[in-house]
Amino acid sequence: MTPRIEVNDLVIRYGEVVAVSGVSFAIQPGELVTLLGPSGCGKTSTLRAIAGLEDPSSGTIRLGGETVFSSAERRNVPTEKRHLSMVFQSYAIWPHMTVAENVAYGLTLRKLPRAEVEQTVRRVLDMVRMDGYADRSASKLSGGQQQRVAVARAIAFSPTVLLFDEPLSNLDAKLRTEMRVEIRELQRQLDVTSVYVTHDQEEALAISDRIIVMDHGRIEQIGTPETIYNRPGSLFVADFVGAANLIPGRLAADGVFEATGGVRLAVAEGGKQDGTTVALRSSYVELRPESAAVPDRMNVAAGMIHRRMFHGDFIQYVVDWPPGQLIVRRPPTEMIDEGASVRIVCAPEHCVLL
Amino acid sequence: MRALSLRLRGIGIPGLLMLLVVLLCAALVVYPVVFIVAESLNVGEPGVFPPEAISLANYAGMRRDLDVLVNTLLVAFGATVMAVVIGFVLAWILTRTNIPGHGRLERLMELPYYMTPLVGAMAWAVLAAPKNGLLNQLWHVLGGGGDLFNIYAPLGIAWVMALFEGTVAFVMISAAMKSMDPSLEESSRVFGAGKLRTALRITLPLVAPGVLSATVFVFAEMLGAFAAAFVLGIPGRYYVVTTAIWESTQSFPPEYGRAAALGLSLFVAMVVTLTISKLIMRRGAYATITGKAFRPRPVDVGRARWLLVAVAWFYILVAVILPLAALLLTSFQKFATVDLSESIFTIANYVTALSTGTLGPAFLNSLILGLSVASIGVPVIGILTWIVYRSDLPGRGLVEYVLMFPQAVPRVVFGLGLLWAWINIPIPIYGTLWLLGIAYFTVFLPLGLRTMAGVVLQVDRSLEECARVCGASWLRQMRTISLPLLRPGLAAAWLLIFIASVRELGASIFLMGPRSKVVSPAIINAWLTSSSELSAAMAVILTATVFAAVVVLFGVARRFTGTQQA
Repeated sequence: MTPRIEVNDLVIRYGEVVAVSGVSFAIQPGELVTLLGPSGCGKTSTLRAIAGLEDPSSGTIRLGGETVFSSAERRNVPTEKRHLSMVFQSYAIWPHMTVAENVAYGLTLRKLPRAEVEQTVRRVLDMVRMDGYADRSASKLSGGQQQRVAVARAIAFSPTVLLFDEPLSNLDAKLRTEMRVEIRELQRQLDVTSVYVTHDQEEALAISDRIIVMDHGRIEQIGTPETIYNRPGSLFVADFVGAANLIPGRLAADGVFEATGGVRLAVAEGGKQDGTTVALRSSYVELRPESAAVPDRMNVAAGMIHRRMFHGDFIQYVVDWPPGQLIVRRPPTEMIDEGASVRIVCAPEHCVLL
Repeated sequence: MRALSLRLRGIGIPGLLMLLVVLLCAALVVYPVVFIVAESLNVGEPGVFPPEAISLANYAGMRRDLDVLVNTLLVAFGATVMAVVIGFVLAWILTRTNIPGHGRLERLMELPYYMTPLVGAMAWAVLAAPKNGLLNQLWHVLGGGGDLFNIYAPLGIAWVMALFEGTVAFVMISAAMKSMDPSLEESSRVFGAGKLRTALRITLPLVAPGVLSATVFVFAEMLGAFAAAFVLGIPGRYYVVTTAIWESTQSFPPEYGRAAALGLSLFVAMVVTLTISKLIMRRGAYATITGKAFRPRPVDVGRARWLLVAVAWFYILVAVILPLAALLLTSFQKFATVDLSESIFTIANYVTALSTGTLGPAFLNSLILGLSVASIGVPVIGILTWIVYRSDLPGRGLVEYVLMFPQAVPRVVFGLGLLWAWINIPIPIYGTLWLLGIAYFTVFLPLGLRTMAGVVLQVDRSLEECARVCGASWLRQMRTISLPLLRPGLAAAWLLIFIASVRELGASIFLMGPRSKVVSPAIINAWLTSSSELSAAMAVILTATVFAAVVVLFGVARRFTGTQQA
């Protein structure tokens, strides 16, 4: 199957600064792929290059097999001829139009009959639960409402590719989690290939079919949310996605890691053989009473609760142990007093050598 | 090279447009200056290009104008000090204290700007001329001896310049005061510093660069100021550089070399001063003073607030109410007097002003010029603004520089350069409105660019990008998104250029011909040659026109702001 979006060796420079340096990936039809990374990692530049809003320095971009940008062929199809759609971070709702006019913009440009335009506008406003707002002036909407109109406008003309540029970053936390679900729902329903840019790792994990983690203009790792979380491919990914402990040390024997302080940990297979760090998710560590029995295959170490912080959905412990301090997240039912001695238990497959 | 060709294809129409218009503007702006330079070196027949003989004699001759240079520095310095003190006090009162009704007062502060220096100077001449000035008459009636005021003295000239040319000081200083993050002061209070200590240790150092920059900027403006120095200086033969330039073109034979040498020196002085002002601003702009609009917490001034309100109103009184009242009173009298029992009221001055060959045609010409310069200038400058602030075309910084260049050239000097430039071109537009129109367009490029930049920058880029993503071409995007969003700003720019054109003096005084008279120079001529009552009537007519335009301006602005703010 031809990928819906194909990016090859993309380089974007702003004068001396290289924003994106040699990025390649392919996105299959119907997939939702997230570009995840800290600000300045090149994710937005990559997205804007796909949209044609940014002129790359070199590389190729193909949409559905058609080359829309190629430095070798000197080809650069203007944005308006790429037949894609986008939801902007600022929503970009035109304040001089009504909600309906905003949504109808792309449809009118495609010279659809008036009745069809009206019908479609009504249908998509209904989909984003903004029916009844059609004649409202767009400048009089709340942030969340503008967000919905922006999504409605983006999907109205049935684009084959939908781009999201941090669409939820201006919403408050509660609205953000709600909209996350709705966007994913719509995307599945319409089966539209989507590229989603965000710096929020939780959002990326929740919404994506696959995640592309970027840093300093390069791709760090591409994979499903589960892979990215369970088997981070680099120190950066381990640190940026989810909460992970990075334990320094060295490989002492095959599959056995000796952390500073003398703790020995069996590590997951397929790790980096010359790695000097073990990444261990804080949710994958158990804390048992000193006397508890533990299966042989598990890694065990002695520790003492230094600090306990109650977060509601979980409790975060700071545990003193020989290599230093270990962050552990446990369900709120597992209360242990500060100062208590514990056995730190974790499975070898969760200790990823990097 | 490859990247360039890709980019050029992406830009297309606006890129070509820019190249064309920029070349034209560069020619308009730079060409007259070339003539000033040439004439300043010309020691042969004046006004002949290229000069028959070249030497630095004209510059050496400036030794004889030492008194003029001293006068200029003296008046400019005095006016700057007064303008900055007034501007600082008013800015502080209006932005940082809790005086009642400061919204309305802030709007009133714009009025002196619309009064224009010419009208202001004539009004103050009517008010405070020695012997028959209205205030002096009042003083005599009250039994005082001698003259209370002499507006023709250097201090008087500086005072009028400070009131009407120095309004920019208030604008710049209040911008500096408004852009300060109030939490900087609040944290000082939290750490235990009192109001006074906070003001001295935190507020003052933070606004200092803004105030200093404004001071230097105002000084540059004062060096190039013309109207007040003309109206008030000529009667006492007190010349500054700008009026000396005018005078040397009026003598016979005209001393064009002297005028050009003085003009070029003034131009250089202004460029240097404006650059210093810019540098201070850039150097001193701490990271804490951002472009963000804060609402600074007003200082509770307690009962002193009534005093502060009185101070603000006193400024309005001397800069707007008194001058207008004096002009109105004079214009309706046969002989200007404050003793109303003796006065003979008449509307003859207005009838004369509008019917004779003096103001009527000039008034019509000014309106025609204002309408056409604004109507052509707004779309052209609008596109240029969009290109400078929106496109990523290489060299747009240079474009901005070219367009802002006329700001540094004193109008009087620019007018002179344009005069010589167009006399020496085989296109017969000298003495026609065309030449004035071209001159206005050129000198108002910076005004238009600055006004429209504010509007363009307010329109978020993604609003335009979104239209492209939806499938709109560049033209379609301009038509359906950019232009409708820019409309209120464009309307404001139109009216500002209209007002500026109608009241233009410095360049017009050299460029108008017998068949192309315009208002401000016509009023100046009346002032020099006929009664002050007649010229007062003319000034009232000019002011009424400008104020009417301002009222329309605010009406338009209000209609748009309700629905169009993103």
